[in-house]
Amino acid sequence: MTEPVTTAEAVPPARTDAVVRIEGLSKSFDGRLVLDQVNLEVDRGRIVSVIGQSGGGKTTLMRCVNLLERPDGGTVEVAGEVVHHGGRTVCRDLPRLRRTVGMVFQRFNLFPHLTAVENVVLAQRKAGVPEPEALERAVALLRRVGVAHRGLARPDQLSGGEQQRVAIARALALRPEVLLFDEPTSSLDPEATREVLAVMRELAADGMTMLLVTHELPFAREVADHVVFVDGGRIVEEGPPQDVLDHPAETRTREFLASYGSAS
Amino acid sequence: MSGLFQVPWSDYQSDLLDALGRTVSYTVVSFVGAVLLGLAVALLRISKARPLRVLAAVYTEIFKNIPLLAIIFLTYFGLASAGLRLDVFTAGCLSLVVFYAAYLSEIFRSAISGVHAGQTEAGEALGLGRVGIFVHVVLPQAVRQALPGTNTMLVDLLKSTSLLVTVSAAELMSEGRLITSATFRALEVYLVISAVYFALCYPLSQLLLLLERKVRAGVPLSPWRRRRVRAARALLAVDLGVGLTAELKQKETAA
Repeated sequence: MTEPVTTAEAVPPARTDAVVRIEGLSKSFDGRLVLDQVNLEVDRGRIVSVIGQSGGGKTTLMRCVNLLERPDGGTVEVAGEVVHHGGRTVCRDLPRLRRTVGMVFQRFNLFPHLTAVENVVLAQRKAGVPEPEALERAVALLRRVGVAHRGLARPDQLSGGEQQRVAIARALALRPEVLLFDEPTSSLDPEATREVLAVMRELAADGMTMLLVTHELPFAREVADHVVFVDGGRIVEEGPPQDVLDHPAETRTREFLASYGSAS
Repeated sequence: MSGLFQVPWSDYQSDLLDALGRTVSYTVVSFVGAVLLGLAVALLRISKARPLRVLAAVYTEIFKNIPLLAIIFLTYFGLASAGLRLDVFTAGCLSLVVFYAAYLSEIFRSAISGVHAGQTEAGEALGLGRVGIFVHVVLPQAVRQALPGTNTMLVDLLKSTSLLVTVSAAELMSEGRLITSATFRALEVYLVISAVYFALCYPLSQLLLLLERKVRAGVPLSPWRRRRVRAARALLAVDLGVGLTAELKQKETAA
């Protein structure tokens, strides 16, 4: 028996132990290479933190997971299913893929015309969850992130920290297998940052699988199992946080950490 | 005053009511048509296919730059001379629809493209699908943006139905002309007709302003949203009560 020949068109079988697996990923915008042959794996229950300078490709890397950005090449695998391979989308049901992957944005992106609780209900209803069940889950999630008392407020009546916590509840509503956080505290003041990080810490303690792009290096050190330093579209260094953040092997990583003044 | 008001208005009461009804019919039918066509043109203008975009832009530019009166004459007299004879109601509504759709499409287009790209992305990330995103995320926000302009257009359309006097459409203005030719009291008649237009337009625009304010304040207007918010309020009673109880206690101690 001969092995089937792997061509650019053939989709390789998925490996099942990782919730997210990225291999040889590349992406350019207007001829500028933003990601170059990037490999990344997030195993179930693990927290992977991507760090690096702005414009280094970390956000693009994260957005390739739920295909908000379509890679030019490489393989993206989510929950044991190849969703993108060799520059084409293999996943036939994008909405289903995206319900498997929760995403929290830097600027919250809550729906301003709906109350907090409706923000958490909407996607559940569209996914076929019955109304009473969707409402109950929304209320439970708002309690979990500590904003239930603001459940009937609209986003513009909420503080930044409250908005981001509602956004986390919204991302959790569909029981995703992995949560993506795109610099979730970058537009928050220190108090709100503490609130949001507290919620994320709880999620981590509950065993949620997370991929986290952040500037909060102390937080990455505290909760992440694995830290990835991305620069110039490539992974420069990766490993356990105490290695990458405290004893970086690469000059570029040391420079970056020094510029953030958080080598301590 | 007795010199000014000499027309036997009670004789014209039922004719005037008919005319009023016709003005309202022209307004309602034309506005609904213009909103639908305007939305379709707006969607074409933001479509990915360039030919569709160009087609929609050409439409908008043509009808924005021709006087409404010319459009009315073209549809009623022009088409008739080409063999397509439309009754006056159809011709009148058609004219108003194609004219106002051009303006409304501009309002709708800017409202739709004014919805932040992050909103569509959030919808995508939640797996809502293209139709779901448009219906539940983009459209409600676009409506909020488009409401003031659309409301102005509605009142403007109501007033423009008076141009249909030129094709004797039997609406308010035509009725006014009829009464004038019978009584030769132009000042009195057109003052009364103007007052009727004012009595229609002023409350309408005030009502629309109220609606705008409600929508901007995020008041749930649809019954299903109201039901959802009511159910959520019941489920959240304990949580919402926490803040309230604290407030009451504070008041008690103050008293």
